[in-house]
Formats: sequence, C-alpha cells, structure tokens
Amino acid sequence: MVTRALKGPRFMVSDHPLPWLLPLIVILVVFALYPFFYNIFLSFHEFAPRKRALVPVGFENWQKLFADPRMWSAFYVTLFYTGVCLTIQLVLGMAIALLIDSDDRGFGFLRGVMTLTLVIPPAVTGMMFLLMQDSQFGLISWTLQSLGVLSPATPILATSSLAIWGVILADVWQWTPFMVLIFIAGLRSLPRDPFESAMIDGASAWQIFRRITLPMMSKVIAIAVLIRGIDLFRMFDYVFVMTSGGPGTATYTLSLYAWQQTFSFIKWGYGATLSLFALFVILIAANLFVKIFKVRW
Amino acid sequence: MVLTPAQRILRALVAWAVVMLFAFPIYYWITVSIKLGRDIFAIPPKIFSFETSAKSYEEVFGISLGFEKGIAVLPGGGDFYMAPRLMDSIIIAVFSTAVAVLVATLAAYALSRMRFRGQHHFVFWILSTRMMPPVAVAIPMFFIYKDFGLLDTYTGIVLVHALMNMPLAVLLLKSFFDDIPKEIDEAALIDGASRFLIFRKLVLPMALGGIAATAVLCFIFSWTEFLFALTLTQTSLKTVPVVSSTFVTSTGTAWGNMAALGTAAMLPAFVFILLVQKNLVRGLTLGSVKQ
Repeated sequence: MVTRALKGPRFMVSDHPLPWLLPLIVILVVFALYPFFYNIFLSFHEFAPRKRALVPVGFENWQKLFADPRMWSAFYVTLFYTGVCLTIQLVLGMAIALLIDSDDRGFGFLRGVMTLTLVIPPAVTGMMFLLMQDSQFGLISWTLQSLGVLSPATPILATSSLAIWGVILADVWQWTPFMVLIFIAGLRSLPRDPFESAMIDGASAWQIFRRITLPMMSKVIAIAVLIRGIDLFRMFDYVFVMTSGGPGTATYTLSLYAWQQTFSFIKWGYGATLSLFALFVILIAANLFVKIFKVRW
Repeated sequence: MVLTPAQRILRALVAWAVVMLFAFPIYYWITVSIKLGRDIFAIPPKIFSFETSAKSYEEVFGISLGFEKGIAVLPGGGDFYMAPRLMDSIIIAVFSTAVAVLVATLAAYALSRMRFRGQHHFVFWILSTRMMPPVAVAIPMFFIYKDFGLLDTYTGIVLVHALMNMPLAVLLLKSFFDDIPKEIDEAALIDGASRFLIFRKLVLPMALGGIAATAVLCFIFSWTEFLFALTLTQTSLKTVPVVSSTFVTSTGTAWGNMAALGTAAMLPAFVFILLVQKNLVRGLTLGSVKQ
C-alpha cells in the first residue's frame, strides 16, 4: 500500500478533476470572465469630464457605434486587412512550403531561418518597416523609387491609398513563415501511397497538388486559417507603431480605434463598446468557421 | 516528385533566394544597430559597406565597450539607457511563464486523463479566451487594476500575460499528455497509486520535454507582447517592445539605438526558437498539428 505521505495533498487524492482545474478556473474567471462583464458594464456608461465619474447612459454607446462612420471605416479596414493578408499568406505560404520541403542538403537550415521572423516583437517589426519605408532614406522606398514604381513625392505610410499596403507588407513578411512551417509539417505527415500511384498513372504536378495534396491538407489549412485569421482581425501593434491609424483614418483597425477612444480621447464607455463589438464579431466568425470546417482540438 | 539534377539545383537556388529575402530585413536591422548616424541616412542606402560602431549598444546598455576612444558612457545615464527595461521584460516573461505552465500542467493532465460533464464546453471556453481581442481585455483590466492598485506593477502584468498564454499552454500540454499511453495511469491506479502520485512520479517525468517546449513558447509570447504591456504599465516598469516604439526624440528618431535594443531583444528569442524547432508547429497550432 502507498502511504499517505506519498499520496500527496489530501484534496488531490480523489479522481475528481476539480482540484486539478481549480487554479485555471480561478485565473479564467478573474482575468477573462470578470473583465468581460466589467466591459459590458462600461459599455452602458460613459466618463463625464465635469463630474469626473462614470455616468450611466443606457444604450447610447451602442446606438452611437452603429451610426459611427469611423467605426464602419475601421471595421472595413480590419476586414480588408484580414482578407488581403490571409490570402497572400496562404498562397505564398503554400508555395514556399512546397519549395523548401525537401531533404536535400541545406534545406533544414533554410527551414530554421524561416522560423526567425516569428519571434520578433511585432512592435519591433513595425519599427523596422517604418525605417525601410521612410520616404527619404528607407530601403524599400528607395528601391521602388529607383525602379520608377514609386514617386519620391508619395511617402508610402503617409499616403491614404498606400499606407495599408505598407502595413500589410510588414505582416506578410513576419507571418508568411507561420503558414510555411505549418504547411511543411502538414505535407510531411501525408501518406506516400496516393502520390506514388498518381505518379505511376502519369498525373501532372498540378493535378497531384490540386487533387491529392490540397484535399489531404484541408484540416491543417483550416487550422492555420483560423489561428491567423483571429490574429489578423485583432491586429494592433503594427498600425500603432507605424501609422497610428493615419493618414486620416486610412489604417484605423477596430482594435486601434477602441484603444484610442478609451485612452487618448477618454471615451471609456465608447472604447469599451467598440472592443466588445470586435470581440463579438470575432467569436461569431470563429465559431462559424469551426462549425463549417469541422475544426477539432 | 522525382527531380532531375538540373531541377534540383534550380529549386535550391530559388529556395535560397526566397529565404534570404525573408532573412534580409533582420540583417538590415542589425546593420542599422552598428552603423553611424550618417550611414543610416545615406542615399543610396548602405547595405554591405559601412563604418561599424558600437555606440548604439553602449548607450542602450550603459556600458563602455572600449571600441570608441574618448566617448565616455555614463552607467545609468543617458536617454537611451535601456538595460533596466530588458530586465523588466525578463522578469515579466519568466514569472508569467512559470504561472502559466504551473497552472496549465495541472489542468492539462485532468483534461487528458479524466472525463467529466461539460468537458467539451470547458475546452471551448479555454479556446475562446485565445480568440478574444487583447484590447477587449486591456480596456476593462486597466480600470480594474486601477481600483486594485495593480496598475504599473509586475504582479499585474505577469498575471495578464499568464492568462494570455493559458490557452496555448493548456491545449499544448494536453496534446503532450495525450501522447503518453493512458495504460500507464490505469495500471498504477489498479496498484493503488493516487492520481497525484501517478502525475508526479510517472507522467510528469515523461512529459518534461513537452513542458519545456511549452515554457519556451510562453516565454517568447510574453517577451514579444505589446498591447497589454503598453496599457497596463506606465512609468515604473516597461517592456522592450513598448520602449522600442518610443525612441522618437525632438531631433528625430534614434534609429541606431532603437535597432540596438531591437536586436538585443531578438537574439535571445532566436536562440530559444531554435531550441524548440521540433515542437514549434505543434505550439503555433495549440497542439493540433503534430510534426
């Protein structure tokens, strides 16, 4: 028989999961659930500068939100950014994954290099691309100007139509490797037989990719799209350091707009409402995605 | 796909070119950190040939490396002295990782080994924490912390980073525990061992590699986090990503110093990520894609 001392704390002897889960539940309740309800409370209040206090305003913030053209603009920018980045990163990620998924000499090193961008703080990436896109001495701007693609009079990050693309470039650079690494892992886990029989049957490379690789990779692709999509939708760091939402409102994302309303314009209640709106959109979209594509954990 | 030798060479060339294109901005950022001001602003940009200088690093770390004669760097002085901010980042990352891994290991074991009502919903709750936009946590947390005096404290930011890493840690560790055969637990249970004993003496030692990988990933995500650190810290502590964005002075942006700090923040993370190479994809997908 095992002695009590060896069995550990009395409450952990039983086979009940609660003691094991309790610390996690406490953290989730205090740091996820409580803030969530506090946020809902905030969304029905607003800071009154004269009283220096929060006053209840009913549904005013929510009415304001749906009537706010800047909110819709930020919503549109967020969707555009998410869609464009996701598409580029998916296609480019798959292409690069197929390219460097090889056991030839040196490819292991290449795969190692591709992991490096993932651990750079996005705020630092933002500063890197801010420097490289500087209209006077930035490397990217200079290259584009030398090629005659970009006029020296149009600074990338200070031109309404271009600024978002400058931010997208930073995101694509940092996160395409995320897709590459996941896809390589997916490619390596595929069984060899279907490919061998397809090659014996004389299928072309494109046919094999389209008819065998893609369908067999669908689960991996769905997970990569889900995780990346969530992170893109809530993106904050790049626009905060690179453009602060400008020029005008060209690069305001929902997250940045919510943050600025709260902390720069002291609209505590409205900022909270905006952040809740982003939260609901993302939860609904992610849930639909999980249901439709049957993503399982 | 069987490639001819010529195709293989072509593939290798294209692969190297593409990967080097991705590595280039990192190289360029490092060169900025060891360039003199006039070379940073040179047109056309200087990529390979420039005068090197350790001045940016000396100012950021407040030490004199002795390369430049006659430049005295005062320890503890200067606008760009950032060594304490690196220390803040390390403290926050280490402690938040410890909290996250400790709490998550217990929970992940239960989720892997026990069945209970509503388990599916519970896992989903953890997962939806991963979906929350950080701004929707940071805004209420700012006011809650203000009331409890946790604003601008290590405890405050450590706990929030631990929460942020919780879904990753729980789900990733669960996938590692799932890899360990349940028969081991069952045999020991029949022999009369308690769950805690099985966990501590049998399962934990077998999962050490996975726990280490989880810890490294938690460390990295805390190390690179921006929004919470920006919102919940003010003056007494700041993390490296937050100060990196504040190097804009009245005389322009101090790119050299910023690059030096950025490089100093990147290099340890590079070492860490190479250590967990084997489990990286599993970590990035919260345990659902195995390598």
